[in-house]
Amino acid sequence: MANQGRITKILLKRDLLYSLYSWGYYGVLFVSFFASSFILKNFLDGIREDDILVSAFPLNYPLYITIIIISLYLVLISAISISREREQGTLEVLFYGPVTSKNFLMAKFWKDFFLGVISLGFTAVYFFLVSFFTNLGFTPGLVRALIMGVFLISCVVSFGLFISSLTSRVRSSVITLIAVFGAFLAIQFSYSTLLGLEKESLPTSLFYIRETLQLVFKGINWVSPFAYLSRGLDSVLLDNWSLFFTNVLYCVVYVTVFLSLSIYIMNRRGVKA
Amino acid sequence: MIQTENLCKTYNDLMVVKDLNLKVEKNDIYGFLGPNGAGKTTTIMMLLGLVPKSGGKIYLLGNEMKPNNVELKRKIGVVSENQYFYRDMTASEYLNFFGEIYEVENRQKRIDKLMSAVGLEKEKNKNLGAYSKGMQQKLAFVKALLHDPELLILDEPVANLDPTSIKQIRDLIEEEHEAGRTVFVSSHLLSEVEKLCKKVGIINQGKLLAEDNMDNIKRKLSDTVTIRIELNQEAQNLEPVLSNLPFIQGFQCKENKIEVQLKTDRDYRKDLSEAIFNSGYIILSMQAKEMSLEEAFITITQQNISLLTDRGNGQ
Ligand SMILES: Nc1ncnc2c1ncn2[C@@H]1O[C@H](COP(=O)(O)OP(=O)(O)OP(=O)(O)O)[C@@H](O)[C@H]1O
Ligand SMILES: [Mg+2]
Repeated sequence: MANQGRITKILLKRDLLYSLYSWGYYGVLFVSFFASSFILKNFLDGIREDDILVSAFPLNYPLYITIIIISLYLVLISAISISREREQGTLEVLFYGPVTSKNFLMAKFWKDFFLGVISLGFTAVYFFLVSFFTNLGFTPGLVRALIMGVFLISCVVSFGLFISSLTSRVRSSVITLIAVFGAFLAIQFSYSTLLGLEKESLPTSLFYIRETLQLVFKGINWVSPFAYLSRGLDSVLLDNWSLFFTNVLYCVVYVTVFLSLSIYIMNRRGVKA
Repeated sequence: MIQTENLCKTYNDLMVVKDLNLKVEKNDIYGFLGPNGAGKTTTIMMLLGLVPKSGGKIYLLGNEMKPNNVELKRKIGVVSENQYFYRDMTASEYLNFFGEIYEVENRQKRIDKLMSAVGLEKEKNKNLGAYSKGMQQKLAFVKALLHDPELLILDEPVANLDPTSIKQIRDLIEEEHEAGRTVFVSSHLLSEVEKLCKKVGIINQGKLLAEDNMDNIKRKLSDTVTIRIELNQEAQNLEPVLSNLPFIQGFQCKENKIEVQLKTDRDYRKDLSEAIFNSGYIILSMQAKEMSLEEAFITITQQNISLLTDRGNGQ
């Protein structure tokens, strides 16, 4: 077991250094800060006009934007992390030696997780500076959102890895990812459209479709990492500790399930593209 | 060292490896020979647990091989058919990375020693993206030997190399073999295996056609062997005598030198010399004209595979 951890650590070190030396990562951080600054500016302009502060967590929405952008980035890089090595054949070379699917997958998980945590660190610093310059409070809510963020990115990363374990090329990973999220959104949209209609005015066929969609929708809420993201961030806004911890627990379960699934699939699928 | 029992692999109903029974003893240099698509790489991947087998059993170093058996894999060095690298790393970083994975002791010293053995000592700090195919192949060798493996599995290790590099690699393989490693090397470059291996297995269309030492294989592969004989006088009336012998397939004569094609189902040289002697000639020299394995190989895969299957199983 100690040996297993050792190998994971070696793989992790290489991967993490490689990612931290790449421009893409900082580019995304910059974009996310830029987007949240933009939202913040609109918000501040609003305050200036009305002269009142309506939100109890003024910085949380801009923070959420940052977390969402970081999450989108993380889900993408984790979705290609296994398939890329499969495609390039380096996965195979690792497996000539004493590396197991579990070692490899955990290394990828921790790499993307740490990339996420590091960006949350940068985010914390950034928001601290923002609160310092704007006098908007660096509230405990913000701290809680950042803590929740750590769990949420791990959900996002495990989902990405799951997609990656299934696919053998970078291209197919990206397409699968887009297709899956596209389907999630489409179902969500059609469900909410049908929900908006009066129950009495629905023809029976549509009624059944709506009931089915409702089931699918509930399923998606358990599968999509972004559903966890929105529930988790909501729980922070609601200021409800038990809800907060329930969401943390959900995240831990989600990560465990998806990582185990991914390891299982990797073992079944092999290392070849 | 390596043993398989009825190893099988099917891809979509197509059997690409059929009931393979390999046996590689400790300290062998075993040549695994076959034309393109014969199933060599597939077999090797199954040995390493990287391609799931469809049936049969695999034993490596006396233990049954299961996927994710890291303790076994730790004792094996592999050079694969295609070279894959982290192209963003330098050779030195790459080797150190694997050195760490395999827990190589005195890592830097070992890396330096192996890199100079293949003539790459000056390219240590070059990015792997800038390595030529030949350099990559050599580097793969260094990586495979890094952790002092008991068993070396090489899939076409000298493809892509020029003659000098082939010699370097061959010397290295021989050296490592003398250091006590068992070597399993696949190839369709037959001349290579011929110089290196004592024992060969020949695979075609997923079936092991023969497994024997190199000399026997060569003999079996050709249905005739040509013998050159120098006589004490011009061979004028030898032809009718020899042509009547059942084991003689052909006869050419030029002054006092003759060439005879003998059947190879057993060694007929003694019978031949008796016949010549009885006709009143004295043999000054007798020499088998070697058929290179390359020639022989073309013979088996394209013309008379039955030679190997019939006699290969009969012996
Ligand atoms: N992933 C795969 N899916 C389907 N068929 C495959 C797969 N891999 C190999 N094959 C088939 O299995 C057969 C054996 O292939 P293999 O690569 O083992 O041959 P080889 O002896 O290594 O040939 P070469 O000398 O060209 O390297 C071929 O017919 C090949 O088409
Ligand atoms: Mg091959």
